[in-house]
Amino acid sequence: MHAVRNVRLCTKDCLCLYVCPTGATDTEDGQIDAEKCISGCRACVDACPSHAISLVPDEYPPQQEKTDAVKKALFALSKSKAEQEKVAAGIADSSDDPIVRQLARAISKSNRVMAEDLLREAGYMLPQSQNVKSFLQSLLDTPQPNDFPIEVVKKLMEKI
Amino acid sequence: MKKYICSICGYVYDEAAGIPEEGISPGTKWEELSDDWVCPMCGAPKTVFEEEESDVNAAPEKEVGADRNTEEVRKLSFAEMGALCSNLSKGCEKQYRAEEADLFNRLSEYFGNKSGITEHKGFEDLSELIQQDLNSGYSTANDSALNNGDRGALRALVWGEKVTKILKTVLMRYEKNQNALLEDTNVHVCEICGFVYIGNEAPEVCPVCKVPNMKILRVQRR
Repeated sequence: MHAVRNVRLCTKDCLCLYVCPTGATDTEDGQIDAEKCISGCRACVDACPSHAISLVPDEYPPQQEKTDAVKKALFALSKSKAEQEKVAAGIADSSDDPIVRQLARAISKSNRVMAEDLLREAGYMLPQSQNVKSFLQSLLDTPQPNDFPIEVVKKLMEKI
Repeated sequence: MKKYICSICGYVYDEAAGIPEEGISPGTKWEELSDDWVCPMCGAPKTVFEEEESDVNAAPEKEVGADRNTEEVRKLSFAEMGALCSNLSKGCEKQYRAEEADLFNRLSEYFGNKSGITEHKGFEDLSELIQQDLNSGYSTANDSALNNGDRGALRALVWGEKVTKILKTVLMRYEKNQNALLEDTNVHVCEICGFVYIGNEAPEVCPVCKVPNMKILRVQRR
């Protein structure tokens, strides 16, 4: 469990700098230095008057099982939302009218958010979950077009 | 004095309070609101409002069939893989894993490009797809989630169904008013649930998912 800072909540009262035993909280980019942070120490978390610092686990529990029936129903909807995102993007792309483009882009965005949420609940919530690992592995195991960014997938498999 | 609830976004019109900032004084009866009055939150027409009391005992039990089936999850389309990866990118961002977030984003962009856009369709085609989701997609999924006690899925479905109804209303309003609907105002999208709001400033909290409006973003006109 190492500490992370939400810079948007940080009010720069600097108490985290006073209490950190390793200097991990004092960095040029506002992020807490994970290398220096002592796992589970939480001195900065408790000292922060703005609740801008929290602990993020290094390991996560297995995710909730999803039934096939629920997955199937969610996938049917996410497919529809993904299609609507494309239709709206097509309307935005083909129109010269800035208002039509604005409305179509809003609808496209809205559908992307809904599709993401449905897929999250269909078993792809946690990036480190087994489902996501299997998904990435399947991308490596099946033939892909020449332009497929295979090095991106390999890097993700390593880091996640 | 009665209260009336918008069945789409949950906005409550309270006769006792009125809406003074819109020139509707406290004590204005529901019947006294003009027929073309619309929900100030989502723009739905007056006809979709329900009186508060009449709503309490509603929600009839739905007939739920045995929908547990073992059919394999079918392969995802490029468009869905794009959304799957942008979702995972957001997940990494929340864990302050900037590098992984960027990698998932690159995958999402790749799948998005592969998927492309759907050409030669209009708002009326969108309305049709929206109606399909409302007619069958959500009821099937809601039954399934209820049946399996999956409250996480139900949460996504409750939000999504509300947003879908709001999109339907937005398109109906656009069909009626055309560009006048948006000419002198702004369009906002909630980046958590997809709620679309037409108005000068986004509401303080999202009426669908209740996130504060720092996460409801304005869509630029360009």
